[in-house]
Amino acid sequence: MDLFTVGFPTAFSLQNLAFCFAGVFLGTLAGALPGIGALTAVTLLLPITFHLDPTAAIIMLAGVYYGTEYGGSTASILLNLPGTAANAVTCLDGYPMSQQGRAGVALFVTTAGSFVGGSIGILVLLAMAPLLVSFSLAFGPAEYFAIMVFGLLASATIAQGSPLKGLGMVVMGLLLGTVGIDINSGTYRFTFGFFDLFDGISLIVLAMGLFGVTEVIAAISEKSGDRDRKLNKVSLRSMIPTREDVRRSILPVLRGSGIGSILGPLPGTGPTIASFISYSIEKRVAKDPSRFGKGAIEGIASPEASNNAAGQTAFVPTLLLGIPGSATMALMIGALMIHGISPGPRLMASHPEIFWGLIASFWIGNVLLVILNIPLIGIWVRLLSIPANMLYPVVVVLICLGTYTATNNLFDVWLLIFFGIAGYLMRILKFEPAPVLVGFILGPMVEENLRRAMLLADGNFLEIVSRPLAGSIIAVTVIMAAILLILSIKKYYSGQAMPAE
Amino acid sequence: MNLVKVIASAVGLSILSATPVLSYPDRPVKMIVAYTAGGATDLAARTMATFMEKQLGQPVVVINRPGAGGELGFTEVQSAAADGYTIGFVNMPPFLTMPIERKTKYSPDDFTYIANLVDDPVALAVNIESEFKSIEDIVKHAKENPGKLSYGTTGVGSDDHLAALAFEREAGIKLKHIAFSGGADVRQALIGGHIDLGVYNLGVMSREAADNLVRPLGMMGDSRWDGAPDVPTFKEAGYDVVQGAARGIAGPGGMPKEVTAKLAQAIQKTVDDPEFIDLAKKAPLPLRFLQIDDYNAYIRQEDEKYKKLWASQPWN
Repeated sequence: MDLFTVGFPTAFSLQNLAFCFAGVFLGTLAGALPGIGALTAVTLLLPITFHLDPTAAIIMLAGVYYGTEYGGSTASILLNLPGTAANAVTCLDGYPMSQQGRAGVALFVTTAGSFVGGSIGILVLLAMAPLLVSFSLAFGPAEYFAIMVFGLLASATIAQGSPLKGLGMVVMGLLLGTVGIDINSGTYRFTFGFFDLFDGISLIVLAMGLFGVTEVIAAISEKSGDRDRKLNKVSLRSMIPTREDVRRSILPVLRGSGIGSILGPLPGTGPTIASFISYSIEKRVAKDPSRFGKGAIEGIASPEASNNAAGQTAFVPTLLLGIPGSATMALMIGALMIHGISPGPRLMASHPEIFWGLIASFWIGNVLLVILNIPLIGIWVRLLSIPANMLYPVVVVLICLGTYTATNNLFDVWLLIFFGIAGYLMRILKFEPAPVLVGFILGPMVEENLRRAMLLADGNFLEIVSRPLAGSIIAVTVIMAAILLILSIKKYYSGQAMPAE
Repeated sequence: MNLVKVIASAVGLSILSATPVLSYPDRPVKMIVAYTAGGATDLAARTMATFMEKQLGQPVVVINRPGAGGELGFTEVQSAAADGYTIGFVNMPPFLTMPIERKTKYSPDDFTYIANLVDDPVALAVNIESEFKSIEDIVKHAKENPGKLSYGTTGVGSDDHLAALAFEREAGIKLKHIAFSGGADVRQALIGGHIDLGVYNLGVMSREAADNLVRPLGMMGDSRWDGAPDVPTFKEAGYDVVQGAARGIAGPGGMPKEVTAKLAQAIQKTVDDPEFIDLAKKAPLPLRFLQIDDYNAYIRQEDEKYKKLWASQPWN
């Protein structure tokens, strides 16, 4: 097999090994720093790679890409600051774990889960790449619409408190998602004349504002500098999960890996949606869903496995079709194109050293990430012993810098602070931020694809439903909605209704 | 990057009192790209920057300022000092059409146009398994089934969309426009068979045609392109439609003549360099070099064309 004859020898060359390490190291760092995600890190590194050998360049950039998925969970767990949008969902249970003094365990489980997810993603990539290509091509506007609605419904259940408030926040996210140029008509929506809103609100700004800045404001308002959190031990023993933790994590990690592997190749969806859907599925299949949001280990294991698996299979359309599924992937194609190499079906034959070298480097990179991340856990956990009045100002600076680096626009920093304040008000009123993000990410995709699908079907919705794949997904969504409805009605009549809002 | 800026501005301040024109350039030149890193314009800029450095003897630093469809970056070029240390790529047609559609912060009248580099013609492709083999097949089918054939573009008012509108007008047919948020989405939908026609630039399309993913039927250049000699022009098929994505270099309005000449010369030498030509062929970047005068004439002509078009048939 070419993977062993060409791939590993290429990836194990000293140069490529060094660039792989540099990539995953920078990726971990970028992921851990709030606001700086894969896109920013790859954008900053791209110009450097123009002077490198193309194999080394792509290995490094890919390392940054999947490395951020590892690093991103760190700040989510420790400080309730999602390193990247794909890790926002990890805050929900990761941060409570850290407040319970189990930060080490949480970090260990996410690292292990990430590794398993990444490895399964690579296996799926190797075994089923052509299948994944045809799967991603089978998705037209109608199918995207269907799966996005499914995602919206699945994720709407992420909210922990009142379902009505959760729904309200999803709608809020949908509304925020409409800001900017409407691609179907070219009109500007809700820009209020602000030039800087023409491209819409940046996901980074919204996520950092609602989670990060809000957390800092909340920390200030809690009178003493010492917050109510249990001291986290730094010893190796405190990192090792209990047998119960492991038992609880295994199935969620596998489920998450599966979901991530399937969703990864779909352009535009990627790791963020994979992590949200995995979380909501875990919550649904759990015997006691009320544990979620209070430090349930399944709530971090599954989404982290999922976003790493998706991170690997996301390379399928990029490498095999030359079609990037995300802005970051587009940059990687750019990195190859500057050397006159165009990814596509012929890449495997024309540049086997790049194709197989890259795949082999995924394995090596994932192993390096584990080796890198386990010792780092001790250092990260020590961060928590820094008094809040010293830690949080630094955090604010990092968030602002990260946001500015990502968008190069001061307006976004103001917007970030605005969302921070809005997020704090929401917290006081017990509105949760996670459903806002879900609505914000999925809403525009639902709208754009529905409009495209309706145009293609000449306004006949039945034609959309009658497409086999789209129809099946819509059917599943309807059945799921019906079950949810019946369950909540039943619950209401058996007298266990949620307190009315 | 920031360090470079700090050094650059420090050096800049110290020599501000001296005569800047004679010694130009004595510090790095900023080249602003109004689109993201890794995109077609960025690739052109970065490929060119290394060659221009050799000519100018100073680093040429490519800076990406994406946003508002390019308006952010164009505005930054316009508002920079007209000393030749800030230049940028201007992309036709959005650079010209945006100020026609709405109020923009920049005005195309306030730029110094130096040279055009790339002109990537818009082209039309079908799925590799499609029954359509020529532009004529499309026109015939569309005449029998008006408004049924769907085509994907990167959005309302994009060069692709304007090109398709021009084709519809010329051929007297009606097609169904499906807007996507990016070129990758259009190509994915075309290769997946979800839309009938894809309208996008020939550079990318020629690669996909070589990969047997799509079948280009025609391109909207003045003449055929060496990179894809099998693809006929629309003119050959009898439809006078010429549309491309022209990318050239401009600076803020009122740049000193000597500086402009020096830059133009550096660009000229770059496009004559066989090594550059080879890289451009591989990328592929369809080159169309236009000197200062030709480029200015081209801009005026295009501007008039779009203003007329907007007056008779607003595209959004």
